[in-house]
Amino acid sequence: MNQGKMTNQDQRTNHEKMERALDAVQKAPRYTGGEMNTRIKEWEDTPLRFGFCFPDTYEVGMSHLGLKILYGLINRESWSLCERFFMPWTDMIAQMKENGIPLLSMESRHPMREFDVIGFTLQYEMSYTNILAMLDMGRIPLESRERDEADPIIVAGGPCAFNPEPLAPFIDAFMIGDGEDVMTELNRVILERKEKGESRQDCLRKLAQLDGVYVPGLYDVAYHEDGTVKSVTPVCPEARPTVLRRFVTDLDSAYYPEEIPVPYTEVVFDRIMLEIMRGCTRGCRFCQAGMLYRPVRERSMEHLAELAEKLVASTGYEEISLSSLSSGDYSCLPELIRELMRRLKDKRVSISLPSLRLDSVLKESLEETQQVKKTSLTFAPEAGTQRLRDVINKGVTEQDLLEKCRDAFEGGWSSVKLYFMDGLPTETTEDLDGIGDLARKVVAEYFRVPKPQRAKGLRVTVSASTFVPKPFTPFQWDAQDTIPQILEKQAYLKKALNIKGVTFNWHEPYLSYLEACFARGDRRLGAVLRRAYEKGCILDGWSETFDFGKWMEAFRECGLDPAFYANRVRPMDEILPWDHIDSGISKAYLRKEKERSSRAEVTKDCRQGCNGCGLQRYDGICSWAKGKGDAPCA
Amino acid sequence: MRMMAVFEKSERIRHIGHLDIQRSVQRGLRRSGLPVAYSGGFHPHILISFASALATGAAGKREIMDVTLAEPVTPELFLEKMNQAMPPELHLIEAAPMDDKAPAMMSLVRAAEYDLAIDGEEAAAMLTAAIPAALGQTELTAMRKTKTKLEECNIRPLIHALDGAGNHIHAVMTLTERESCKPGMLLEALCRLAGLENPPRMVVTRLRLLGSDETGGFIPLEKMA
Repeated sequence: MNQGKMTNQDQRTNHEKMERALDAVQKAPRYTGGEMNTRIKEWEDTPLRFGFCFPDTYEVGMSHLGLKILYGLINRESWSLCERFFMPWTDMIAQMKENGIPLLSMESRHPMREFDVIGFTLQYEMSYTNILAMLDMGRIPLESRERDEADPIIVAGGPCAFNPEPLAPFIDAFMIGDGEDVMTELNRVILERKEKGESRQDCLRKLAQLDGVYVPGLYDVAYHEDGTVKSVTPVCPEARPTVLRRFVTDLDSAYYPEEIPVPYTEVVFDRIMLEIMRGCTRGCRFCQAGMLYRPVRERSMEHLAELAEKLVASTGYEEISLSSLSSGDYSCLPELIRELMRRLKDKRVSISLPSLRLDSVLKESLEETQQVKKTSLTFAPEAGTQRLRDVINKGVTEQDLLEKCRDAFEGGWSSVKLYFMDGLPTETTEDLDGIGDLARKVVAEYFRVPKPQRAKGLRVTVSASTFVPKPFTPFQWDAQDTIPQILEKQAYLKKALNIKGVTFNWHEPYLSYLEACFARGDRRLGAVLRRAYEKGCILDGWSETFDFGKWMEAFRECGLDPAFYANRVRPMDEILPWDHIDSGISKAYLRKEKERSSRAEVTKDCRQGCNGCGLQRYDGICSWAKGKGDAPCA
Repeated sequence: MRMMAVFEKSERIRHIGHLDIQRSVQRGLRRSGLPVAYSGGFHPHILISFASALATGAAGKREIMDVTLAEPVTPELFLEKMNQAMPPELHLIEAAPMDDKAPAMMSLVRAAEYDLAIDGEEAAAMLTAAIPAALGQTELTAMRKTKTKLEECNIRPLIHALDGAGNHIHAVMTLTERESCKPGMLLEALCRLAGLENPPRMVVTRLRLLGSDETGGFIPLEKMA
């Protein structure tokens, strides 16, 4: 039904205007497109056109694995095409406004309105205003209820879709959970609508019947006088009372791209990302990803080695990172690394292991990696004392950390990054002192290595982020520290970390405060979001564009108190705004974990036996639920 | 063996800088499966050099690179493999084997031929009209940016051909490591002659790189490989 809306003449004009705009902006390569392995499929011959939107800049979006998976997956189908949209920077936005250019796709430069489906990936709460900005620049009405038959269907997925409520007014349908299967199912329904000329409303009702799809417009939310949620009620039979997330049970048979776009310019992660597994068995209590991406599913070594070879051949990248929440936990990591090195040695590819867990770093594999290229080492103790690490179930001991650091220093590394969080539940001054102590001990480990054996230039970087309580974690009922509390703690840490060889990084707490609001927000926050956008808030994740004052005005004008969302301890029996979304993890389990946390009791890794998180209720979902999972190299 | 190749940097990717183009070509070589030679040392890199860095913002019709291969390859195979491995925005036009001892292409560049596509008919007409006057002078000043300062220089001796038609200005100008006249300098000088206060937007395309023969006349650089 979108056909013929835009003439060739219009498209030429947009193209020419865009070329002019490119000459007037910084970082034009963000907008040029034409990268290796991107595809421009025949527009007229492809019935379903999907616009994949990453609501942040090109450099951030092109570093995102999910984009690459879905881009390949949609383009692989003969009947669908996928083109990319990114959030333009302010200078380009000004050019577009001035010259009347709508938001155009990177590939064929078609305006957003010409697509059948527009899909946003939700990786970060503070990119929400960018979604409104992109829809606006795409000349699509911001709210679902304002859209008519000619507008594309607006969908969203990704980790933040697990609490979809703050975005409920703007998104027609959310995909909850692993996207590989549901993406194609959703596209088929939308294609059918297009072919049969079905109404938008009928299409949305059909989408609501797909497993894992949540259509917020089909639910009524009622509130108590104190602002807490009273009920969430489906308004039609198609809408289910609760929406269970999707699971991809076998990663080896799930789609994974063998060709990925290679940007001309350097992006944040400019390398091959090989997803070796999905999920994490550790059960850190602050970690939303650790809950949302359960269960752990590993790709087989053979499959990974094949993918790596194909990706190296198709991209020419010089580096592969083994990516997952906890790569050190991959059942046969040393074997995998050895196999990759064997197959790729002549290709001059270095292998890097990000987010290494301290208790699973193998000296052996470190040395092997280094054979090709030295990469930096990152550890995340998260908290400064054993007590607090037990509270958050971060199963890492000081001894572990120091041993791994010594191994690294002996192996020729001289820079180590340590990640911590401030504001964790039950945190005291003692825990902050613990961060300083730990940093000092790491420095001492370096100097313990004899001078001729160690690499020069010790650099210990300590970063502290502010804890944000997230839905579907045992801390979902907890309060975030107030801004004054966080500022005080940061000032304290600054003094505690005034150590030679140590650099301390921290972020102002204002953004984390808003992140806390939106992470656990309800549907009413949609109004705040819209108001903030109308006041000019965009690109909030970037310090140069973030305007906290405007956000506070938006809250005030909507009659809502951010502290209600961020700083309030929620009673266990309160209906949470996301209770109608089922992550597969039971609320009873989260409650139990919260209780154990308050007693500083640790919970064992699922690989050592099932903890009963809730996934055991579903047949064939979690291979660890019945005792021992399959180790692909065993 | 050494292989000289002529390639195009399309207008669409004109804003990609030289270092990024270099990296893209290197990755293309890695994708091609051709027997690429690497330098020795601690950080091995692909042995490749470009005859001249093309400015960010400019397209190039016939840019030139010089690649060292570990084994002999025919130019036909080289072109075929590379064009399968490169994005259409950076495609190769021709290739020819080079003598291993031949001097670097970079050292042979003497001049370049440019197309300046001027935005705005009126401005283009004014600039084109100023061309005879420009050619009639012995001195044409423009500002030259060096690493440390901005200085005035005479570009007239650096202009070897200059004409215009419609929205396009065509120029052949000196391009050596010692001195060169960049399209922006030419535009600046023409604007002054034409009485144009603000230089119009233009899209620069470097049409070809030129070397010189024994008589001092310009010949396409690729003929010197």
